Amino acid sequence: MPKISTWLSSGVLAITTVFLVQTSSAQEIISSPPMSLPSVQTLLNKMSQDAAHINYRGSFTYQNQTSIELQSFRVEHWLENGVEHDRFLFLNGPERVIVRDGQPVDCKAMGDELLQGSISQIGKALVKMDDLYQFEIRGQERIAGRLTRVLQVIPKDPYRYGYFLSIDEDTGLVLKSWLIDENARPLERYQFISLDLNPDIAQLKAQSLPHQHKAVADVTPCNPTEFTKPSNWQIAWVPQGFAFAGQRKLNNGQTMLMYTDGLTTFSIFIEPTTSFVPEGVGKRGATLAYMSRLVVRDTVFRVSVVGEIPVAAAAKIAQNITGQ
Amino acid sequence: MSEQNRVQTLAESISALMDNQASEFELQRILKASEQDAEVKATWSRYQVTGSVLRGEQTPVFSAASMASFSARMSAAIEAEDALSAPAVADKSKSQQGWFYQLGRVALVASVAGGLVLGVNQFNSTGQSTSQIASNVVTPSAPVDSAVSLPSGINSPLINTRTVAVQTGYESRPQENRRVNFQPLQATSVVSDEEVSRYVNQMIKAHSDNAAMNSGQGVLPYARVIITDEE
Repeated sequence: MPKISTWLSSGVLAITTVFLVQTSSAQEIISSPPMSLPSVQTLLNKMSQDAAHINYRGSFTYQNQTSIELQSFRVEHWLENGVEHDRFLFLNGPERVIVRDGQPVDCKAMGDELLQGSISQIGKALVKMDDLYQFEIRGQERIAGRLTRVLQVIPKDPYRYGYFLSIDEDTGLVLKSWLIDENARPLERYQFISLDLNPDIAQLKAQSLPHQHKAVADVTPCNPTEFTKPSNWQIAWVPQGFAFAGQRKLNNGQTMLMYTDGLTTFSIFIEPTTSFVPEGVGKRGATLAYMSRLVVRDTVFRVSVVGEIPVAAAAKIAQNITGQ
Repeated sequence: MSEQNRVQTLAESISALMDNQASEFELQRILKASEQDAEVKATWSRYQVTGSVLRGEQTPVFSAASMASFSARMSAAIEAEDALSAPAVADKSKSQQGWFYQLGRVALVASVAGGLVLGVNQFNSTGQSTSQIASNVVTPSAPVDSAVSLPSGINSPLINTRTVAVQTGYESRPQENRRVNFQPLQATSVVSDEEVSRYVNQMIKAHSDNAAMNSGQGVLPYARVIITDEE
């Protein structure tokens, strides 16, 4: 794949050059004594673990490549008796809020385990995050009035995207996140503009929230100790490093199979149907849906792969699904 | 205004233009000045060369000739752009032509001027046909021009040109951002885009539960969800 390696290397070169300049200027501005860089693993652990253990209320903006429209959201997170509570408020357009209650704070989903490297000893597929992405810690950046450490994440194969993550040095919260496609273009961007680490929890709990939509807290199993496989369906190929994170039966009859490599996720949706199945690629923002049709013993199934992954990955996953 | 000040102000405007931040007024002033003043062209060239070097690009050659052709293209772009959006905004109040409108104008001008080929990646909501698909397929962009400058070695995002061109002020349609860009495998697809959008948006919503648990970024993925009252 000469094309991929070419853009990777040229991208790395360009980015390295810019960051050399940036890093040196950042150090001048923040004239603090030279700090030792945290290790990549420390940063990843902080990001996937620490942020769940604090209370906060913050606002962020979001933009994706489909629309230049800037959207804004507020997130509220607090702990009570070891259980996490999330409120996700849409500040633009119609009033909406996603409510997620009931996740135990010590619940590590498959994504967390992969990110923290804590499952690699147990499973037989010993794929480390370093095999999937190249991680580089860049300088400091001030976001929403807080100091963050910039982590650049470059994929090592064409089946996932890259990231720029600005991680709060104190709390581990991701305060800025860019998803970068194979042409080094941002697909979507999040950026916090304010963060309050001492919110009034009584007030958060008391607020009335019209138009609530409940999110499922236990969507994937907690603290998985081994790699499992979905029942009934054979997913013969997924990109290296993606682990099965659980399956659900949705109200509309769809079977949903969830996968993660720690940073990137995709989901497979399968449902029997008697009507025409549109096949093709749907895209909104950074998310892609590869829609296809599968016949198993005279029954037609609608099979779709949905995630923030390149079309090459989604198509190959979908084409390698078979029923039993 | 002294000559010193004038040069300084122009230099700042040129700098703003390079960052896509110049106002319509500044743009006009730069173009006008560039016709009479060789120093303006030289300043533009210097800034471009500086930008190219900072971005690690090779052979940053910019001459007065390239400035002249830039001016010509810019002027043409402004004319074309005015004709396109003027009728649509004629009856809008000033307040409705906020930053969004300005952003659209600058983005359009800059994209044309920069020679950046933007992919039109949105399909009409009405019926599909082969020719429509062919003409709407995302065009691979030309090498990203130095007129659009972004930090950190990141290329400029592909912004939907059609959305930019027809967008006027804040009447952004709530339906617009829930539309899914659908590229069917078969040329003759009998399903409506609306149907595909509904199906894909429903899956994105369910998928966000997965992403919010397994991508290490907390609940941020819920920003991708479109919630409608249909549910």
